[in-house]
Amino acid sequence: MKKPFFRRKKSCPFSGPNAPIIDHKDVRLLSRFVSERGKIVPARISSVSAKKQRELARTIKRARYLALMPYSDGQK
Amino acid sequence: MAFYECIFLARPEISTAQVEAHTEAFSNLIIDAGGEVQKTEFWGLKTLAYRVKKNRKAHYVMLNLISSKEAIDEMRRLMSLNEDIMRDLTTRVDAFEDGPSIMMRKVKEREERNAQEGGRYASGRAPING
Repeated sequence: MKKPFFRRKKSCPFSGPNAPIIDHKDVRLLSRFVSERGKIVPARISSVSAKKQRELARTIKRARYLALMPYSDGQK
Repeated sequence: MAFYECIFLARPEISTAQVEAHTEAFSNLIIDAGGEVQKTEFWGLKTLAYRVKKNRKAHYVMLNLISSKEAIDEMRRLMSLNEDIMRDLTTRVDAFEDGPSIMMRKVKEREERNAQEGGRYASGRAPING
């Protein structure tokens, strides 16, 4: 018998009762949503909701401006 | 009056006392304009994620301000003219978070951890006794 394809439904990490606050000072949290190269991970991979992804992207860009996070992994 | 969170980066060459003097000058500007400084945090000399004006480090300061837009605009203008200030980010927030910000909490956590596992190696391995 063919095994049916099953994928657990993912939920947004910023929704729900004790979801973390998206803050440009919280580099450790934000760094979970960027690739090794420093690029923002697409929402379809990180399963962040559309509304929160917009907020997250804006916040990451602020953290980059403050040089808390890199724009890229190029010249340091 | 609105709540503002201002973080600015000062040149690494200047001393901590100078950073504090600049911070006080900006704070007084807000207070003189009828505003209020709710909290001042010195994050210290931190390594930058990339070079800014050929500097690898900078002094970070965070201010939580309750002020009018005009005073904030004036403060930001003076920051941009000040050669010791490399960058600033001022955002309007709905409310200030209670207690120290995540940056200060992180420093504290690290100190506590170091105190706890005093003799441990960086890998977390306990030292071999005897």
